[in-house]
Amino acid sequence: MMGREAALALLDRALGYSKGEEADIFLSAQDLGLSRFAGGAIHQNVAHGNITLNVRSVSGKRLGRATTNDLSDAGVQKAMAAAHKNALLMPEDPGFLGLPTPPEPDTVDSWDQATAMCSPETRAKIVEGVCLQGKEHGLNVSGACRTGVQEIAVVSSHGTRAYHAGTLAGLIINTMSATSAGWAKGGSWRLSDMDTEALGREAVAKAVDGRDPVAVEPGRYPVVLDTYAVDDILEALSLYGMGAQAVQEGRSWMNDHLGQGQTGGQEGARAMSPSVTVWDEGTASHGWPVPFDAEGVPRQRVDIITQGVVNTPVYNSYTAGKEGTVSTGHQAYFTGGPIASNLFMQEGDSSLDELIASTRRGVYVTRFFYTRLAHSKNCVMTGMTRDGTFMIENGQITHPVKDLRFTQSYVEALAGVEHVGSESKLVLNEVGFATRVPALKLSSFNFTGVTV
Amino acid sequence: MAMDDLVSRALDLAEVRGAGYCDVRLVETHQERAVVRNGVVDTLSDDESLGIGVRVLVNGSWGFASSNIVSPLEVDRITGLAVEIAKASARSSNGSVSLGPPVTSRGRYTTPIQTDPFTVSPEVKLGLLLEADRRMGSVAGISARTGNLIFIREQKTFANSEGAHVEQTIYEAGGGIAATARGNGEVQRRSYPQSMRQQGCAGWEFVAAMDLAGNAERTATEAVALLSADQCPSGVTTLIVGASQLGLQVHESCGHAIELDRVLGSEAAYAGTSFLTTDKLNDFQYGSSHVNITADSIRLPGLGSYGWDDEGVPAQSTPVVRNGRFEGYLTSRETANGLGLESNGSMRASSWNRIPLIRMTNVSLEPGDWTLDDLIADTDEGILMEMNRSWSIDDRRFNFQFGVEIGYEIKKGKLGRMLKNSTYTGITPEFWNSCDAVCNEDHWTMWGIPNCGKGQPGQIGHTGHGAAPARFRNIQVGVMK
Repeated sequence: MMGREAALALLDRALGYSKGEEADIFLSAQDLGLSRFAGGAIHQNVAHGNITLNVRSVSGKRLGRATTNDLSDAGVQKAMAAAHKNALLMPEDPGFLGLPTPPEPDTVDSWDQATAMCSPETRAKIVEGVCLQGKEHGLNVSGACRTGVQEIAVVSSHGTRAYHAGTLAGLIINTMSATSAGWAKGGSWRLSDMDTEALGREAVAKAVDGRDPVAVEPGRYPVVLDTYAVDDILEALSLYGMGAQAVQEGRSWMNDHLGQGQTGGQEGARAMSPSVTVWDEGTASHGWPVPFDAEGVPRQRVDIITQGVVNTPVYNSYTAGKEGTVSTGHQAYFTGGPIASNLFMQEGDSSLDELIASTRRGVYVTRFFYTRLAHSKNCVMTGMTRDGTFMIENGQITHPVKDLRFTQSYVEALAGVEHVGSESKLVLNEVGFATRVPALKLSSFNFTGVTV
Repeated sequence: MAMDDLVSRALDLAEVRGAGYCDVRLVETHQERAVVRNGVVDTLSDDESLGIGVRVLVNGSWGFASSNIVSPLEVDRITGLAVEIAKASARSSNGSVSLGPPVTSRGRYTTPIQTDPFTVSPEVKLGLLLEADRRMGSVAGISARTGNLIFIREQKTFANSEGAHVEQTIYEAGGGIAATARGNGEVQRRSYPQSMRQQGCAGWEFVAAMDLAGNAERTATEAVALLSADQCPSGVTTLIVGASQLGLQVHESCGHAIELDRVLGSEAAYAGTSFLTTDKLNDFQYGSSHVNITADSIRLPGLGSYGWDDEGVPAQSTPVVRNGRFEGYLTSRETANGLGLESNGSMRASSWNRIPLIRMTNVSLEPGDWTLDDLIADTDEGILMEMNRSWSIDDRRFNFQFGVEIGYEIKKGKLGRMLKNSTYTGITPEFWNSCDAVCNEDHWTMWGIPNCGKGQPGQIGHTGHGAAPARFRNIQVGVMK
């Protein structure tokens, strides 16, 4: 781990080498450990980290880039020079209004010393515990346990000096019998927040209850989606349209639902159920707190969908400049467009049991897998159910079913939300994308195939 | 201290600390990227990365550590850490890992290229993208257009405690363009040469031959035409899959399914397992007699081409499916030894800070005898589908569904109306057993897939897939509603 002083000192030193009219440098550092297990034993166990400097150099309306992980004077100078050289090679971009001058971001607490210091031995003990839980039920247990530290910092010629360090802990458990599988996933910035035994019980129960599934006919069914499946819906809606770049280029599902003639900011028509409210909030402590983006801009809360009405996408400085507005702090990575990556869905007032009890005949989906965009209009997705899919009859789960393929508009699916779960779960994915989501009861979901 | 001395230092220290096996990879990567969006240069970037990774077996269990600081002290630290991690792995072990016969490869390999892409000026590269962008923009109805180029040079030293020491310089070059049209309540995209980009182990000549600018106007025109095209009908019909889409079909339904680590459960919690279980080896009709699939790491410009894999095993060619029968996996030393085989050199890591995993090399459908014109003429009724738009397959690689950018109806042996939103779905062995014709080598292209995800922590692999158009009978198409 670098620490605040060393990180900012490195960036100050780098900035001193800048020959651009403007420059900023985004530092991204990781010091992570991951123990992977399969067949009830650890088979891969790694410490992996990196420290990368991502440089932007400006000449007029031209912005060049370079990255390096060579932190020597020579390495840093080379990267600064490369970014400047690239800027000079580019034609002017009239849409580029210069680097942002953001206010100082708030500090957010996402540091836990015990998590930062977690040893491979501690991770091995966690793995042993969950494997034992599966073994007691004759299940093959696989998964991954990870812990570590992530640091980000931004320094710019506009006076930006921002630094944040956070810890992370995550556990994925997959349980398999000859005919079934179960899954559980936990994540937090504090290892002690993760009830690893409860996660083990969750994964075991799905595999035990899922034995000997039967095939059901594809078709439209009411569904109860557990939190992992709802996470998938929000991820897809984010990746395929909650960023202003996609909206400005006309390839977002939002384009048909935002206010007339507006990219955002003017109330549009109701596209989803009034029960659906979604926002992005990078500084919320019950999410995955990251106080600023790769441009050093504080992450603003953005109310993306309010009671089913689509309000606005999220912005970085470039897309905001195109519309005469300001960045919402969503330049998630060094390159690419803005991304809503700290999403929340408003909880409702129904327990999971009540969602199931409200269903006369439908499918309880615990998880989606390998979902991909089939059509950008209304975000039509295809994918599979996996690791625990069950039939609901007369308000009760009656039997497991074989995994189903679906082809379904996620926007239209959320138009059919009948009930929203009262408890939400933080789902932390592989690339720094997190959602906090409840379970949902939907009136209809389109299953188009079944696996063998 | 010289780099080779650092590598030796890690090997020596690992042995002192009790490692029964150690390998070290020192990797330096230089990457140049250019992206043009809607008439302006979105990205022009030089990216450099250098680091070292140490992998050890201690008491038969694995440990790995890595660092971007390449110094004697840091090499000592990560070697010690790798040993400590391996000892922790031994707490939860299913027995001692055995790698089989020792690997003692020595030598140098460099991707054969005609023109080093790093000697071509950025002005030329940007000029190519901007001209392609201008030509796409000249077509009325286009709402968004993009173009991208990428050039990679990876210099890698691998050494192990068994005496192997190899040095490689791998070059990659790639590029592509895409146009998006919006109107008539529709959004449609066309790409060239394939979705995202075409990429190969090659030099500048690979990109120059694509003629991105020369294909820009046609690409954009097709995107606009798709807005008013008819919807792909729903039903069961004969399907001719174009070469680029079939490359991805091979990747998803064969390439991943034959990764032996996946078959044995190593990826169960993440990507899944495989229906091609070990009892099926040499005893399973994967496809029809027209289906011949090879995995090789020697067929340029395939993205899976190299001199040695990241365990030091020489590049080679392996029959996977012969006359429809399943005959071979992609293997590592550990997994092959478990089956009484020797590794066929398929272990690769995406970076110095990742462990090698079994990755697809160049997994290719071998060409058949047909010309595409004859194949269409021989088809009474069906659909031709080309260029991937979406892909999804289940965790055992059985149930798949693909969407493509463009389709054409086939009626009485002739191509007819253009179709939009074309999709097809199936079950892998049923699909490949329904193949009754594959086009010849004149239609065969080695496609590059530069975004194959696998492993935890995640790794992006680069794979090659040769394919020519092929025909499949009784396929479910038009799955959108």
